[in-house]
Amino acid sequence: MRITCPFCGERDLGEFTYLGDAAPQRPLGASGVPGPELEEAFYDYVYLRDNPAGLLREHWYHGGGCRAWLIATRDTRSHAFQAVEAAPGAGASPDGGAR
Amino acid sequence: MAEPAWTEQPPLARLIEAGRPVASADPPGVRLTVRAPRRLVQVMARRGGFRATVDAARGLFGSPPPSRPEAVFTADATLVWSGPGQFLVLDHAEPIDDPAAALRTAFAGTASVVDQSHGRVEIEVAGRQARAMLAKLCSLDLAAPAFAVGAAAATSIDHTNVTLWREPDDSDGPVFRFLVFSTFAESLWHLFTASAAEFGAAKGLR
Amino acid sequence: MADLVGTTGVQRRAAEAATQADGQAAAQPRRLAAGGLIDRASPLRFTFDGRPLTGFAGDTLASALLASGVKLVGRSFKYHRPRGILSAGSEEPNALVELRSGARREPNSKATTVELFDGLSALSQNRWPSLSFDVGSVNSLFSPLFVAGFYYKTFMWPGALWERLYEPAIRRAAGLGRASGLADPDTYEKAWAHCDVLVVGSGPAGLSAALAAGRAGARVILCEDDWRLGGRLLSDPAEIDGRRGLDWADAALAELASLDQVTIMPRTAVFGVYDGGTYGALQRVGDHLPVPPEHQPRQRLWRIVARRCVVCAGAVERPIVFPGNDRPGVMLASAVRTYIGRFAVLPARRTVVFTSNDDGWRTVEAISAAGGEVAAVVDPRGSVPARFEAGSRGVPVIAGVVAAVEGGSGGVRGVTVRTADGRLRVGAGCLAVSGGFNPNVGLASGFRGRPGWRDDIAAFVPSGGPPGLRSAGAANGTFGLAAALREGHAAGTEAAAECGATGHPGEPATAADEALAITPLWHVAGAGKAFVDFQHDVTASDIALASQEGFDSVEHLKRYTTLGMATDQGRTSNVNGLAILAAGRGRSMLETGTTIYRPPQVPVAIGAFAGHHRDEHFHATRLPPSHHWAAERGAAFVDVGLWKRAQWFPLPGETDWLQSATREVRAVRSSVGFCDVSTLGKIEVCGPDAGTFLDRVYINTFSSLPVGRARYGIMLREDGMVMDDGTTSRLAEDHYFVTTTTAKAGPVMQHLEFCRQVLWPELDVQLASATDQWAQFSIAGPRTRDLLVLLADPGEDLSGEGFPFMGARAVRLRGGLPARLFRISFSGELAFELAVPARFGEALARNLMELGAGLGVVPYGTEALGIMRIEKGHVAGPELNGTTTAGDLGFARMMSTKKDFVGRVMAARPELIRPDRPVVVGIRPVDPARRLRAGAHILPKGAVPGPDTDQGYVTSACFSPTLERWIGLGLVSHGRERHGETVRAFDPLRGEDYEATLCDPVFYDPDGGRQRG
Repeated sequence: MRITCPFCGERDLGEFTYLGDAAPQRPLGASGVPGPELEEAFYDYVYLRDNPAGLLREHWYHGGGCRAWLIATRDTRSHAFQAVEAAPGAGASPDGGAR
Repeated sequence: MAEPAWTEQPPLARLIEAGRPVASADPPGVRLTVRAPRRLVQVMARRGGFRATVDAARGLFGSPPPSRPEAVFTADATLVWSGPGQFLVLDHAEPIDDPAAALRTAFAGTASVVDQSHGRVEIEVAGRQARAMLAKLCSLDLAAPAFAVGAAAATSIDHTNVTLWREPDDSDGPVFRFLVFSTFAESLWHLFTASAAEFGAAKGLR
Repeated sequence: MADLVGTTGVQRRAAEAATQADGQAAAQPRRLAAGGLIDRASPLRFTFDGRPLTGFAGDTLASALLASGVKLVGRSFKYHRPRGILSAGSEEPNALVELRSGARREPNSKATTVELFDGLSALSQNRWPSLSFDVGSVNSLFSPLFVAGFYYKTFMWPGALWERLYEPAIRRAAGLGRASGLADPDTYEKAWAHCDVLVVGSGPAGLSAALAAGRAGARVILCEDDWRLGGRLLSDPAEIDGRRGLDWADAALAELASLDQVTIMPRTAVFGVYDGGTYGALQRVGDHLPVPPEHQPRQRLWRIVARRCVVCAGAVERPIVFPGNDRPGVMLASAVRTYIGRFAVLPARRTVVFTSNDDGWRTVEAISAAGGEVAAVVDPRGSVPARFEAGSRGVPVIAGVVAAVEGGSGGVRGVTVRTADGRLRVGAGCLAVSGGFNPNVGLASGFRGRPGWRDDIAAFVPSGGPPGLRSAGAANGTFGLAAALREGHAAGTEAAAECGATGHPGEPATAADEALAITPLWHVAGAGKAFVDFQHDVTASDIALASQEGFDSVEHLKRYTTLGMATDQGRTSNVNGLAILAAGRGRSMLETGTTIYRPPQVPVAIGAFAGHHRDEHFHATRLPPSHHWAAERGAAFVDVGLWKRAQWFPLPGETDWLQSATREVRAVRSSVGFCDVSTLGKIEVCGPDAGTFLDRVYINTFSSLPVGRARYGIMLREDGMVMDDGTTSRLAEDHYFVTTTTAKAGPVMQHLEFCRQVLWPELDVQLASATDQWAQFSIAGPRTRDLLVLLADPGEDLSGEGFPFMGARAVRLRGGLPARLFRISFSGELAFELAVPARFGEALARNLMELGAGLGVVPYGTEALGIMRIEKGHVAGPELNGTTTAGDLGFARMMSTKKDFVGRVMAARPELIRPDRPVVVGIRPVDPARRLRAGAHILPKGAVPGPDTDQGYVTSACFSPTLERWIGLGLVSHGRERHGETVRAFDPLRGEDYEATLCDPVFYDPDGGRQRG
């Protein structure tokens, strides 16, 4: 499998680590009110995942290369990558020059 | 009272001196050279600070640092891309001081600066068969158009992170430089020499 | 039956003896006087089952055996039927031999692809005591036992008999050669290649494709399984562009070799296509030599990254299924032509050709041209194709089918032909069979591609399949030479253009066209075994039986009968099996379908996949800065992840690790010792928001840590479990230095980058791994300060006030060396960790030994380190095991309630704060002489062992030199409230059962006075 890192270009799968679905957003911890609702929100964040047959935005880590976290859109049926973007905080962003 | 003696252990010297000579052909197809340690400093731009970092670097080195996988050769230094918003500075400096101090001042407020002078070993792979040998280790396409002089990459060899770039060719062919983690250097050196053996390899220190 | 085989064997041996007596000339009785691509000036000696034979350079083992008149080559898998040589390529199911001897012995080598070399030795397989007299052939008498699904039916019950009786018996009886049982003396390599267009196969289509793409300027790699390029042009006469086919091929190769961007790789089999245009290929670097050349591997596994691929892998002829079709001497018609044309071997004086299609008639021509006799052509279609009328004049043509074969281990003696009028016998030593051709659709059917079916050629053809891959020529069902040349050229042109190549691809080569006419004939029913899968001994009746029993989906049929599951991957059998299944069920071939194609298409040795990753190079090795110094001192080393760490430093006279480690601990506790702890992960955390960032990843607070101080911290995973622990120091307002455990350095870096880049991109923080930059030594013991003052610059204040416990700062050493000093202790003693730039690590070790000589300094290894941390009750890997919370480890109060941090919310889940969770506790056996071992279960005193009474287990144990007894740590339910309670330690794995006392986990200096001193 080949993944096109937005910083490094096309690389072999062996340089990357897979994390999973990029959709779940970490709920606010301290700024939220601790209690069952927040626990429920974290439960969903940590454990609940969709398993779509089709396009999925997912986190990959280019640990064997530039160490950027990436958000890749992959078709789970064909393993074809539609897009690979950098995570919002990769490099020195926000800054046009670094990206 | 005895004063402590600080003898610096040069990287891989033991292996090159004591090691069994690898096959030699005349001229060797691959030349493996362990480069003498240089000052090596990692510069990481702060959030939103890449442009300011570029400006500071231009003032310091006379050239902007790489903003994509490239190596920039200036009069005194080589600046190698090491990831988005960051690069490595390789140059010569006093051996036993805080090597990053001057750069820390120069990049104050624009970039974080970390000394890596002892964290990496610089190895050169050159010669007619350098590409054939590196094909055994490196998953990148190092052919001329795909990896021109001045191209750089952060990649892995034997599941170990390395930084590599291409220097100007010499009379014998392409010249590649690798920065490998110091604690992996012996293991990788073994791999380099074993992979080069069939082409006839010369190995040395410089 | 056994008697008959024996008689035949005796006759055979007599015949062999006679042949040998005839001397050199008679040694290759079936070799033609002229022709072929062999070098008659380079004779090669080899042995088969110990019998000396000769061949020529350019031979395969199979062609040399045929030239020598050897027909019987092996015994079959289940029934031990005599088998010969069926094919002339990698599809061979029968002629499998053990090649070479000793550690290089390799079973299941296909004689049809083994390049002959001088001194080659080969043994036949699956026979005892000899090939011609084989006791196992009585299996044929019991063949009803071995029908489809026999494993499932026969050996269902009782299970225990499997291991002791059935499996060993079956393994002995039904084998496929013997592994050497010795370590492989050869090396293997892996390598990467990159190109625009990968061309697989070098026949007319492949050469055309490579030429077109190469001329257009694309980067081309041309892989050919064979050692000589040309494909069928090596075997069949042809005319291309007005030249002899072979001359055209040589010219094409010369042109390809002249193009800089083209790489030609002979002896390289492309075995699979993987995602993103990555292809697996196996290059046989040294298989054709007795021993690989120095510094070269035996095989090299290539990963070829190609933007486009043109598969021109040709087609494989398929046999026809009829009774006796496995007899030695029954061969594929195209293989007979290859032996004649390429190897100058005429397999027999008299040959019967049995064909359902026009291509078989070429074999008739080839045999006649070589001076052989075609005893008859059996073609169910009954007439001579117009094109072959001239070439087959005088040959008897019979409209019928072959219904039986005479002959045993000595080979074919004749065949029985069934016609509309009855039966007739034809005597012959070889039966050449053609049932049509199966395009090699394996690669093209990767990614679950399902081949389509073409009635006109009665074959599956590529359809769908991997993106970027196209087939051309026979591999695409295009059997005519002219059409294959055109199609190959077009495919190469298109592939190159898709890669952006703009050069002119030249004109396609031309030839006279020849279409293949075929009337499918799959199976001739009749008495006797008719084999579909030769290698796995699957017969037509097995398929009928499986279908009758309901295993009529192709995937079920395959697994129930083992059709196509042998090392030949069913290349000569699958389609015939499917056709018989389809006919039996009244379904079309397309409805029946094929099984899913998966790589590897050809067998690949595990060694090739491993490459250099074996023995001490199984993985990369990391050496801490003092490694060579420790080795000089005779240290024992232990693998900790990728690291080699000094485990203990034996002194002369010490014979036991415990003796050395005990001495090292006593020296530290009474004076001073040092240990290389550079393996701990070190991460520089920089930037204005570094403190805020660490507050969010640690359970405790770091933004409030003063510059110059260190603090112990714990990180959780988001699910609330402990991820890692370590000490973090603040070296400047915007600069922290984080240490991780040795094991978790990589995962923690990845996690921190995730937090920085994904969770909190707004924080201005930068991370750099500094593990390799610093040689960091722990220096511990009551005399530590006495040693450090000898090392540190006199200006450095190391007093309790000047450098308090948990102080951390940059210092300068005598001689001016800059260093970092941390007053932290893992041993419970007064201790510092001193970090110097890594290339000075060895000098630091030597200086410590020299300067500390008067203090009795010792180096200590990981054993002493581990003992002292258990004595001090510090948790480590066995307690930070991924299932423990901060509360379990005794750090509940460290968890801040004033801030968000990773894992905070989930750590508060009711199950994670249950009061009966196993928590860290000290454990010591009641009997002070008793050894405690990690893994022992803890039960209430007097309880009956079981899941209901199990309360936890011993996680870490050691002999404490300080307490002079065995002690340990454990995770025990309600452990903290039970200090002083006697429990049962139950260790059924080691047969131990004893009483132990739970206690405070801090066995040594509980008030911490020593480390603060």
